[in-house]
Amino acid sequence: MNNVKNLRTFPGNRIIWHAVIVGIVWLLLLLLNNNIDPLYSSYLALVAMYATAMFGMTILVGLSGQVSLGNGALMAVGGYVFALTSMNWQTVPIIGWQWNAVWSMVFSGLGGILIGGIVGGLAARLRGPYLAGLTLGLAVGVPAITNRFPELLGGENGLMLSVPYPAGGYAALDSALGSSSDSSSGATVDPNSAVEEDQYAELDLSEFEQGANPDADLAPEDLLTDGDLLTEEDFGVGDQLTDGDLLTEEDFGVGDQLTDGDLLTDEDFGTGTDLAVDPTGITDAFDSGFIIERWQASMAIAVACLVAFAALNLVRGRQGRVWKAVRDDPVAAAVVGISPSGSKISAFVVSSLFAALAGAVFAQILSFIGPGAFGLGLSLSLLVGIVLGGRSSLLGAILGALLLVWLPELVDGLSGDRGWPEQITNNAPNLLYGLLVVAVVLAAPGGVTGTVRAWVDKARGKTRSPLS
Amino acid sequence: MTNFIDYLLGGFSNGAVIALMALALVLVWRSTRMVNFAQVGQAMFTTYVALTIQQSTGNWLLALVVAIGAGAILGVIVFFLVIRPVKNSDSTGAIIATFGVLIALQAGAGMIWGGDPQGFIPPVDNAGLEFAGRIWPISPYDILVLSATAALVIGLTLLFTKTSLGLSMRASAFNPEVARLSGVRVNRMLISGWAIAGATGAIGGVLIAPASTISPNSFDILLVFAFTAAVIGGLDSLIGAVTFGIGTGLVISLVSGYSDSGNAAIVALVLLALNLLLKPDGVFGHHGARSV
Repeated sequence: MNNVKNLRTFPGNRIIWHAVIVGIVWLLLLLLNNNIDPLYSSYLALVAMYATAMFGMTILVGLSGQVSLGNGALMAVGGYVFALTSMNWQTVPIIGWQWNAVWSMVFSGLGGILIGGIVGGLAARLRGPYLAGLTLGLAVGVPAITNRFPELLGGENGLMLSVPYPAGGYAALDSALGSSSDSSSGATVDPNSAVEEDQYAELDLSEFEQGANPDADLAPEDLLTDGDLLTEEDFGVGDQLTDGDLLTEEDFGVGDQLTDGDLLTDEDFGTGTDLAVDPTGITDAFDSGFIIERWQASMAIAVACLVAFAALNLVRGRQGRVWKAVRDDPVAAAVVGISPSGSKISAFVVSSLFAALAGAVFAQILSFIGPGAFGLGLSLSLLVGIVLGGRSSLLGAILGALLLVWLPELVDGLSGDRGWPEQITNNAPNLLYGLLVVAVVLAAPGGVTGTVRAWVDKARGKTRSPLS
Repeated sequence: MTNFIDYLLGGFSNGAVIALMALALVLVWRSTRMVNFAQVGQAMFTTYVALTIQQSTGNWLLALVVAIGAGAILGVIVFFLVIRPVKNSDSTGAIIATFGVLIALQAGAGMIWGGDPQGFIPPVDNAGLEFAGRIWPISPYDILVLSATAALVIGLTLLFTKTSLGLSMRASAFNPEVARLSGVRVNRMLISGWAIAGATGAIGGVLIAPASTISPNSFDILLVFAFTAAVIGGLDSLIGAVTFGIGTGLVISLVSGYSDSGNAAIVALVLLALNLLLKPDGVFGHHGARSV
């Protein structure tokens, strides 16, 4: 019955349906984002970022059956491309248009596709454990690769990003930070009065370029020679500090010590400085002030929704069936004219594209990119999330993303109440993740979504594989 | 040239430990046809156990023996709780499950012993020996590591070629159905394989610890090196694991010596990728029928 219905559905209809669904979800999320506390907006941004990367994991691990630990590294590719292009390019190469953040996202995606194609080409020749091992090497190798090119990629310290906040964003942030003792009106910016020019473009990149070549400003006589070295004679004996120079308690007057009376009371803070959410509602909060967490969340949500739309069409269309066919029986798939290696490579390329976009979003959220945040831990997190949420469903990816953000907060809250040592609190989420992954693989391979669907099917009297 | 010889000699001790880890991976592969990505996690955990014993008693040998026992037990526990239940379901799940064990072990070790790197005092001097008028990059401790590895490899070879247990294990690895029909208790052989692999990994962990420091994640890179060595060796060949384990150690030492130790991971990755492309069954591997 279901199959007949699917056959009758014209693909164009399906795409419109997906667009409508994703559009509604997008609107709801934006509404949510504008009404919650900025702290929750920052969680929302992380969930959207994880979900973006994990839609790719659904396709790669769930549908195509390739276990990859390299997606954290592929996220790093996207993040670094975003950082480098947004820092160094002012116009689009070849076309010559004005550069903006969307172009950086486009090039991050292209970088992901390129690297995904290379890794996928290798991966298509490999079976399960070999692929997992190779991609594990990729994840572990990220720090080594960034250290290999310290000038370009910033080595271990990574690169600071100039995040492309909207017009007026930087000014709002500056005044929010600079005039915190002022009234709260300083932290708001009226977008209508904001200068038309992009604040981001105003950060004069040429200054950096000059700074990169300091020798040009120096005349030969300015250079220091050996004769300029300081010798001991340049320091008189009297200049050396002796024990007598040590500061003693007497050097501090009694009056210098802080007493209880010096404690700041509520009265020292004006009432206007409370960082409360604007009670007048969404539109006011959005129009009158720039809140960085809101901006991060709306940016991450936009990318996640676009990626979700693409993923929905791929997964529920012909390509999704091709991936599953090759996963379940490569020989049979080859017999009906599907190229197993082509299918595996395409899964890798798609997941790599999604990972790179997620990496670019992550870099903007952190306003930083470095090997530490994109190492093996991130790759393992993605795997954990996708397994727990449900390996072969896009909804599972979203649930997994929620779990990845929520569980550490839950543990933190629990430990805050009970005063657990930091050693326990920091490791508890990972211990839970590890145990849960094993438990899910053993008892409910379909994760949350697969298990729920199995219950529903059972109630309806149908049976199917938990991973279908 | 002197540099070259120094770098080469300096690589043997690390290579021996990589060989041990690769051996552990191979032993598991031979018994259950899967790669245990939690292997270095188990080794890390037992090395912490050894560290605790050594710190409280000061006895290195006791620490090593306890670690070996703990490694075998941990291997059997992982096999019973995780591998045996999952084995007949999907192969993707089996791989993921071993990573789950790795994550849990690393977090558990972080909970018990903390995340800060800790030093492991070697039982003998770890400074280069002076001989023929110069200092060589081989210390008494390196000699201990190499002889322990050699003894273990000889012991394992004898076990597999000369004893009935070894013969049964080989039979179960080669063809479980036929082995079962011939009266081999295949399940016991699988358990033995996991126990021996766990013990081998534990020895490797205790031996490598004094050369660097130990922290919950410090063996991650060792997993990549060991996997590289095991795969190039053919995944089911003991001699291949040992040869390419030591070979990987030498290459890493040369790369670290001539450029930077950070590049070792990249070189391992390139070696692994090239091998998987050109000779996916490994140099010593048996060529069998392979699914598409």
